[in-house]
Amino acid sequence: MLKLYIILYYEFLKIGIFAIGGGYAALPFLYFIQSKYNWFSVDELTNMIAVSNITPGPIGINMATYTGYTTAGVLGSIICTCAIESAPFVFSITIMKIYDKFKTCSTVNAIFNGLRPASCALLTAIGLKLLYQTITYNNEYFSSSLQIDNKAIILFIALMIPFSFMKKQPLIAIIAGALGGIILNQF
Amino acid sequence: MKKVSLWEIYRIFFIIGIQLLGGGYVILPLLRKYIVDERNWLSEEELVDYFALSQCTPGIIAGNISMFAGYKARATLGALSAIIGIITPSFLCIILLANILNGIIENQYVQDAFWGIRISVIVLIIITVKDMWAKSVNSKFTYILFFTVLLVLMIFSISPAIVILICALAAILHSKITGGKNA
Repeated sequence: MLKLYIILYYEFLKIGIFAIGGGYAALPFLYFIQSKYNWFSVDELTNMIAVSNITPGPIGINMATYTGYTTAGVLGSIICTCAIESAPFVFSITIMKIYDKFKTCSTVNAIFNGLRPASCALLTAIGLKLLYQTITYNNEYFSSSLQIDNKAIILFIALMIPFSFMKKQPLIAIIAGALGGIILNQF
Repeated sequence: MKKVSLWEIYRIFFIIGIQLLGGGYVILPLLRKYIVDERNWLSEEELVDYFALSQCTPGIIAGNISMFAGYKARATLGALSAIIGIITPSFLCIILLANILNGIIENQYVQDAFWGIRISVIVLIIITVKDMWAKSVNSKFTYILFFTVLLVLMIFSISPAIVILICALAAILHSKITGGKNA
């Protein structure tokens, strides 16, 4: 049993170090763990990913917790969650120490002058990609066959108009989207 | 600034964690609401900076940006409180609800609701971009950078970390050429 905990810690520590760029970057690692150790089946893993998507919290953390739970119970889920965040914790603290020390330095200011538009563009690209995927059922831009999901467009516009003017209320936007999704799909 | 208690950091990040539905990017509008607007732990510029940093730090973006924000409030212990706060709701939900959710995930209403939430997430991302824009794209150089990065990302699939690193280099070059004037 102790050996299992150590393996779990080691595998999720690796995910924390190498999965740069959000929860989905962890997916290939999880499939690797599945094929290497066979603690759960591919179907179970697919289900765990689906459930991780609908529970609150960062998807990567949810998947770590769930995988740990399936494999070794509550203690397993604590180990996996701690493991996936332990390396990023050390990195983040180090980066913040450096950031605090050098943020008044002119070169660092210049760097952030370039990072801010890049960061903004990254988020724009993600937003556009998700919008495109949801409206056209397509993963690739410039695809030959285009289907348009009218319901998605209606809901998008219906949410966009009020929430561009409202004071920031992310939770209300999420609830409105969920209700809108249920109502629109009745027709 | 008054010293923020670790419990307060934990509590706020717990609340953010509960509302973090539909993927990690919702963390940005949530941090803006709870930490920038209501509590002033961070400035708008810092939030954008941290988002850039969290993209090139190993680990889950929502976790990284929470630790940065927690660190800003109370250094290392603040970062620890923030990450534990953000993890607790995910942890409890999986332990307590996983079995139930496994059974209802095929339910049509649940599927429809999450289809709708996906669209909410897109709307939230667009609104966040609109707010970030004013603080980040404000000169000829930043305009060029924004549209170049956007175009490149739409055509090729490149890791965000690499994009951030290249832009950092471009910014250093630009400041050397213009002699450090931030325009």
